[in-house]
Amino acid sequence: MKMTEKDKRVFETAQQARIHTPLCLLVLILTLGIAMTSVAAPKKMATSQPENCALCHGKEKALPAGHNDIKKMNYEGCKKCHIDTLRLGGKLPGGHIHQLSGVSCEKCHGKVKKQTEVPMKQCVTCHNPEKLKEKTAKVKPENPHTSPHYGTGLDCNACHRQHGKSENFCAQCHKFNFVVP
Amino acid sequence: MSEDEKKPKNPSRRAFLKSTGGAAAIAGIALGGLAVNPKETAAALNPMPKKWDETYDVVIIGSGFAGLAAAIEAKNAGATVTVIEKMFVHGGNSIINGGDFSAAGTKMQKEAGIQDSADIMYNDMMKTGLYLNHPGLAKTVAEQSNSALEWCQSLGARFAKVGFHGGHSVKRAHQTINASGSEVVNKLFDKVNALGIKVQTRTKLVRFVSDKGGRIVGIEVRTGYKFPDEKSGKTAYIKARKAVVLTSGGFSQDLALRQIEDPRLTDKFGSTNQPGATGEALLAACMAGAMDLQMDWIQLGPWTSPDEKGFGHVPLFCERLVGYGPMINPKTGKRFFKETGNRKERADAIILIGNPVIIMGDSYAVPKQVFPNALQKGMEAGAIKKFDTLEDLAKNYNIPFEAFTAEIAKWNSFVEKKKDADLDCMIFQDAKPTVTPPFYAARLWPKVHHTMGGLVIDNNAQVMGFDLKPVKGLYAAGEVSGGVHGAVRLGGVAMADCIVFGRIAGKNAAKEKSQI
Ligand SMILES: Cc1cc2nc3c(=O)[nH]c(=O)nc-3n(C[C@H](O)[C@H](O)[C@H](O)COP(=O)(O)OP(=O)(O)OC[C@H]3O[C@@H](n4cnc5c(N)ncnc54)[C@H](O)[C@@H]3O)c2cc1C
Repeated sequence: MKMTEKDKRVFETAQQARIHTPLCLLVLILTLGIAMTSVAAPKKMATSQPENCALCHGKEKALPAGHNDIKKMNYEGCKKCHIDTLRLGGKLPGGHIHQLSGVSCEKCHGKVKKQTEVPMKQCVTCHNPEKLKEKTAKVKPENPHTSPHYGTGLDCNACHRQHGKSENFCAQCHKFNFVVP
Repeated sequence: MSEDEKKPKNPSRRAFLKSTGGAAAIAGIALGGLAVNPKETAAALNPMPKKWDETYDVVIIGSGFAGLAAAIEAKNAGATVTVIEKMFVHGGNSIINGGDFSAAGTKMQKEAGIQDSADIMYNDMMKTGLYLNHPGLAKTVAEQSNSALEWCQSLGARFAKVGFHGGHSVKRAHQTINASGSEVVNKLFDKVNALGIKVQTRTKLVRFVSDKGGRIVGIEVRTGYKFPDEKSGKTAYIKARKAVVLTSGGFSQDLALRQIEDPRLTDKFGSTNQPGATGEALLAACMAGAMDLQMDWIQLGPWTSPDEKGFGHVPLFCERLVGYGPMINPKTGKRFFKETGNRKERADAIILIGNPVIIMGDSYAVPKQVFPNALQKGMEAGAIKKFDTLEDLAKNYNIPFEAFTAEIAKWNSFVEKKKDADLDCMIFQDAKPTVTPPFYAARLWPKVHHTMGGLVIDNNAQVMGFDLKPVKGLYAAGEVSGGVHGAVRLGGVAMADCIVFGRIAGKNAAKEKSQI
């Protein structure tokens, strides 16, 4: 089998991450891992930590057998293997990406007894709408972070979900095939 | 009945309701002409909440043109105001609209040398509306259209040019700079925010609360509602010390209701509207004693494309081209209807043909007439196509070529003479024969667009009841009201209607005596 450029990259990053698994097996495992995350019906724990899957997922295995140890891994670490078609964005719930990037529950929900929905004004403390608009300026067929209707003011929650599947809000009326992380 | 609601004060009435089988019996008696006031009936069936969660002078339902205009005017008249909106975002159909605002006798018209007056606009509305329009309402919109446009401009809304819409006798559609109603909605929304008016999204009106006399004193809502999950959210009560203003828009997306009114409008027809354009708020008003009218006049847009979702880009292409380029039935290669005819005539003509038709223009008309962004996006979506020759165009749409070229030659001769001897299409002075390649074309198939019928209002936007008397404490404006447009709403007149009557409703609601 001849390696494509993409395969090479996956292989190389896998090497860097010291995963000594044959390439095709690795791909299989990672794909399974993505499928598995959507099966679990986890508890929401305010005290959750990225490396402690069992705290929310209980006995159910959140990661596929043979998945690389994720202790002390952050989102950058995940991205070493999870690139291109293995990308986690749009598949892994946003809350996990936040956790893995060091953004704990409390950072968005605040230190409260009962956590409530996070308003957009909290999101924009890190995610500047104008910067987002620039970042996605080349996305086709339209820039998802600006529109003639709402400018850059559309509530992030319209599309991005942290504890469930994100939604392509524009698709209510438009034929935009965005993959929403 | 939920625990939150206390028992009606009049125990004998409640006992009566129980023993006779409630709503159906009462409604039967009311219809049978016995001395039971329908609004009292409504009050009896709609108990007072034990406690109000929030209280304002004026409570507005819906955050489109009409609701936001009402909110600003009510607040400016000194009232405390809130706006509730069931969807995730504000703006309703208004924020996705095409941005054409019909107004007569405006500064922009004068600058473009267009002779117009409120009388001419009124006559156009009545003629196209088959004279089913309530004359007082139509007159109010025509007469105040200019001041409504100027009011929007004073709040920062910018308009670029004056265009034509089928059924009008002159160019009077003032197009916003971004060819979207969002230009107006967002300027109104900024003002609403600047005035400190609370807009509560994901808050759905469930029912009106009336007092014993049938006066509307507040509403029951679901807060944290997630459209379209009817079980989502929590019950809350909002009191209106002065009045409730209903500006909940039309019901083009309400499959059940629209088929009751017009059984042809099955799911075979798409809609240009936002998904929340449904009729439950209108029906809730009827249950509280408000009367409806002309509900089966439902408008299909004749300029939508089957090749894109929703409203899309083709309407902005088609409506700028009528009077400059021909509309062709691909089966025959011939024109089939007056391109500048009104929406109803044109949609009916296309439905009668039974397959999508073509609108086309050449490289003189298209760049001159069509908003560049609409053209580009329509082409990217594959709904508007470009052809180097007429032959290519004909081939693409399976048009019999000989008949087609003969028809184009005939059309061109009409354009030269500025007179269409076949179908009486209005041909504009600056129109030129369709000869310059490349040619642009799009397919057309109607979609459900506007509901002309709705609640009965008087010239003060006061809602009228089934007893033909005012439903006290209830105003309505915009697409939820009926009567302004009669059988057919002319292009751009919804914006005028919503702003004119939204403002009237807001002012009058604020003038009501506070009920404390
Ligand atoms: C795609 C499109 C293009 C158009 N282009 C033009 C144009 O160029 N010119 C023109 O004049 N007209 C145009 N129209 C028509 C015009 O936009 C509408 O008639 C107008 O926007 C209606 O305004 P409104 O304020 O009455 O209602 P909307 O703007 O629809 O607002 C009503 C709001 O009430 C909310 N609501 C409904 N029920 C409830 C409930 N139970 N509880 C709480 N909230 C509720 C809705 O979600 C909605 O947000 C267009 C319409 C569409 C769909």
